[in-house]
Amino acid sequence: MASYSSDRRKVLKLFGAIGATCAYPFAGDELYGQTAHEHANFVPQSQGRFLNDADFKAVARIADLIIPSTETAGASQAGVPEYIDLVISRDAQQQALIADGLRWLDSQAKELGADRFVELDERGQLSILEPLCKAADEEKTEARNVQFFALLKRLTADGYYTSKAGLMDELGYKGNAVRMNYPECVHEH
Amino acid sequence: MIYDVVVIGSGAGGGTLSARLAGLGADVLVLEGGPHVNTRTDFNTHALPFEFPSRHIPTMRPGKPGFDGERSRGLGGKTMLWNAVALRFSQRDFKGRQHDGVGEDWPIDYADIAPYYDRVEREVGVCGNYDHLDDLPDGVFLPPVPMKCSDIVIQKGAEKLGVKVIHVRKATLTRARNVRPACHFCGNCMSGCDVVAKYNSYDVQMAPALKTGKLTLRQNSIVYELAVSDEARVKEVRYFDRETRAEGSVQGRVIVVACACAQSVALLLMSKSSRFPNGLANSSGELGRNFIPHITAGFELFLEDFIGKTSENDEGFLDHAYIPSFMHDKQRDYGRSFGVQFGYHNHRATGWARAIKGMGKSYKEAVKARYPAYMTFSPYQEMLPNDDSYIDLDYEHLDEYGLPRARRHWKLSEMDMKLHNDMKRRCQEILEASRAQIHSVSQEPSTNHEIGGCRMGSDPRRSIVGATCRAHDVPNLYVVDAGVFPSSSEKNPTLTIMALASRTADIIADRLQKREA
Repeated sequence: MASYSSDRRKVLKLFGAIGATCAYPFAGDELYGQTAHEHANFVPQSQGRFLNDADFKAVARIADLIIPSTETAGASQAGVPEYIDLVISRDAQQQALIADGLRWLDSQAKELGADRFVELDERGQLSILEPLCKAADEEKTEARNVQFFALLKRLTADGYYTSKAGLMDELGYKGNAVRMNYPECVHEH
Repeated sequence: MIYDVVVIGSGAGGGTLSARLAGLGADVLVLEGGPHVNTRTDFNTHALPFEFPSRHIPTMRPGKPGFDGERSRGLGGKTMLWNAVALRFSQRDFKGRQHDGVGEDWPIDYADIAPYYDRVEREVGVCGNYDHLDDLPDGVFLPPVPMKCSDIVIQKGAEKLGVKVIHVRKATLTRARNVRPACHFCGNCMSGCDVVAKYNSYDVQMAPALKTGKLTLRQNSIVYELAVSDEARVKEVRYFDRETRAEGSVQGRVIVVACACAQSVALLLMSKSSRFPNGLANSSGELGRNFIPHITAGFELFLEDFIGKTSENDEGFLDHAYIPSFMHDKQRDYGRSFGVQFGYHNHRATGWARAIKGMGKSYKEAVKARYPAYMTFSPYQEMLPNDDSYIDLDYEHLDEYGLPRARRHWKLSEMDMKLHNDMKRRCQEILEASRAQIHSVSQEPSTNHEIGGCRMGSDPRRSIVGATCRAHDVPNLYVVDAGVFPSSSEKNPTLTIMALASRTADIIADRLQKREA
């Protein structure tokens, strides 16, 4: 085992010297050298928004209440509203649920003395959303406004934890790396 | 030209067999329905979700064809995207009926196939630990990869119940070999392997065999019919080009079907003739019957030991451990058994986060705390053949080429459900003993690893092929995929497909040499 790992260290040194694109000096067509983990798929965000400005702002505000900014980015900094906009642009049922839900939120805001949900302060906004969140957690999803919240929470979670800010910075995903070996567990379990 | 052997399909079965036969000097043609796929440049192996506006990572790079439909069309077949678990079947698996009185026995024994397991393991490289288990024979192993911390927690939990957890066995290199480097533990095994540390049949077997000059590959060629002569031999293989739809045909002394279970059944069912009105090699009426896919349950859980800990890079090569069958020699009210694969989730995927309760800062903290503790746990059981589980053709829903689709029907018997429920109960016990918070449990059984439909047996009235994988009805037709398995074992099928294919290659070469084929 000892000689094995020292061989591997030699390879590691070689790897460092040649650079990340090709670990093996003789790599031709025949040789499967370690290629750099390149990312060849970047596609710019699609232009044009499905939601109108007011609805987009309201969706962004709700997403930020579900996943707020802390030491790491919150939902809107992580591009979640754009993700939600893209997903619902392909689904008429979700569009209707969100349109109805946003109207319902505004109607609730009026009872609290504001014209629109986004104009309420955070406490006012949470006083409307938190009961929906609780009902969704308890799977009491008969009411359409609970379904609306559950959909926005699902989309926010999906969008945030697949974003760079959410996956890399917040959760600390460290995979997709080149390792020369897999370490033995040395902890007490 | 008349080829010695025409092979339809290039996955674990077709790849292993065609490379072996070319090496033995036969003129081999492989027809593959999909394109050549370059493992280095064509898959999205190392992509991350935020590179795509929809956050969905497509299998292929932009503009690259292959592996994007229901069928795994492309050179290498399903081996391009598999997880590489490579387990030998045991004598019990070949003689399940003798062992517990239900289901079917294979017409061969472990001893018949053991030398071919040896050969295939040497050929492609399988890592594993020598565990000396009766029911999971050791192979010719490269060094195993250390278990993950989470595996050790499960191992200790299972140990309290007398259940053994071993190192997984995979057809992935843990030491460099020839032109293939060792695994680099990026954790993206099921998105292709850009360096071919993980076995695929094209790069490991077929590409080297091309140097013999005996192997010809014809890609993008979708076979739709095997035409038979009056002597009940396949006289012509008919295909069309996937892109141009131009039709073509080829002839071979021997024809090997290796299209992966349901698709092999579909091709034979489509090949109707006056001689075989119910499908080729189907005088028994058994073609498509005895469909016995693996049945799985799924758990998602958080290991308490890791909740709130810092996230570390423990992707490895996905699952590093395995729970071999432990019920087969116990008193029980069902036949057969199950084994457990666990921890083969990839940490790019975070779909579980949406089901964590709450909102706001506390929600965000709860997700982060659980991220290092998340694990999947998936037991696999064997099912017994029954009349309600079969493959047939759906002529009402044709595919994009106008061919009928293979349709899978499956239903678990009362005994299968007893096994399924016991399997879930015992998994739950192991998880509780490992201090796991169970996040979700599958409500309904689901299938994986398609097996059966072209049963191997010694009685031509009850099976399609004999012990050599040759069709009872058609002397120059062979089937080499998991379709021929008379019983499925709970163990992953691919290594056994490869060993059978290697053995059948030798049998075909022998017959060609003796001019019997």
